[in-house]
Amino acid sequence: MLKTSVLGHSALVSSIGEASILNPQGEAKKRNVIADLLLTALIDAFSILVIFLLMSFSSTGELLFMGKNMELPKAAQGIVLERSAVVKVDQGKIYVEDQEVSPEQLTGALLEIRKKFQETRPGEEFPAQITVQADRRVKYEMLNSIVLASSQAGISDIKFAIIMK
Amino acid sequence: MSHKRHLDGELNLIPFIDLLSVCICFLLLTAVWLQVGSMDVKQAVGGQPASETAKKAVVWVFMGEKGDLSFDVKDSRVSGALAKAKIPGIDGKPNLEMLSQHVHTLKSMDQSLATVLIQPHKESFYEDIVSLMDSFKKEGLSDLGVAPL
Repeated sequence: MLKTSVLGHSALVSSIGEASILNPQGEAKKRNVIADLLLTALIDAFSILVIFLLMSFSSTGELLFMGKNMELPKAAQGIVLERSAVVKVDQGKIYVEDQEVSPEQLTGALLEIRKKFQETRPGEEFPAQITVQADRRVKYEMLNSIVLASSQAGISDIKFAIIMK
Repeated sequence: MSHKRHLDGELNLIPFIDLLSVCICFLLLTAVWLQVGSMDVKQAVGGQPASETAKKAVVWVFMGEKGDLSFDVKDSRVSGALAKAKIPGIDGKPNLEMLSQHVHTLKSMDQSLATVLIQPHKESFYEDIVSLMDSFKKEGLSDLGVAPL
C-alpha cells in the first residue's frame, strides 16, 4: 500500500537510489526499508493549534495602539473595550485621536468630535464617552485636565483603558 | 476484463497540511495576546443642580499623597467612625486589603450602597486609582465616579 502512494514512492524509490553506481550489488541486496511519516499526529497538532488560535482571535481588531513606553494598569473587573474617541497621554503630551493638543485645546477638540459625529450621522445620538489611554505611572494631575475637559464638553462617561488580569 | 475498484485509496494529505499551515501563520500574525479592557467611570461632578439630583447613598473616597484613603459616607445608614474612616497607605500605595475589608463592612451595614466617588490627589498614580476602582467593583460597588481636582 505504501509503495503505491505518493509518499511511499518518494520515500522508498528515490531517483538517486536508482541511479547509484557506488553499490553495483545494490539490486541484489536491496534492504526492505519501510519508512512512513506519521502525518496523522502532525495534522492533530495543527488542528489543535488552529482551534486555539481561532478561539483567541479578536474580530474587532486592535482598538488602541500602544507605544513602547506605554504600560496600561491592570485590573480584573474591567469590561470589554468598545470603540469611542481615544484621548491618549504619552510622555507628558495629550493626543485626541492621534492629534496632539494642549490641555487648553482639549475641550475644543472634544467638541469638534461631537460636531463631526452629528454631521456624519444626523439623527443619531452622540455617545457621550471617551476612552482614556495612559501609562500606569501617570499622575492624576495630568489626567485631571482630561476629566475637566470632558465634563465641559458634555461627556459624562470615561473609559479608562486597562489590561485585563 | 473486470474493472476492479480499489477500496484502499489514500487521502492526499499534503494540501490539507498546506491549508493548516497557512491558517496557523495568519492566526499567529493577527493574534492579540493582551486583552485590553476598560474601567467605566462617570463624572462625579455633573452639570445637574444638587437639588434636582435624587438622593442616594454615596461613598466619597479621598486619596492622600502617600496612599492614605479617607472615607465619607453620605445619605446612608452607615454613620459614625465607620463613615469617616481613614486607611493609611503602605509604601506610598493604598492598602487594598484593608480597603476591601472596610468596604465589605460598609456593604454589610447598608446593602443599598452602590456608588463610589473618588477624589484623587494630584500626585496619585493612575494605576493606584484603577486598583482602587477594581477593589470597589470586586465588593459590588459598581457605580464609580471620579472627581476633578
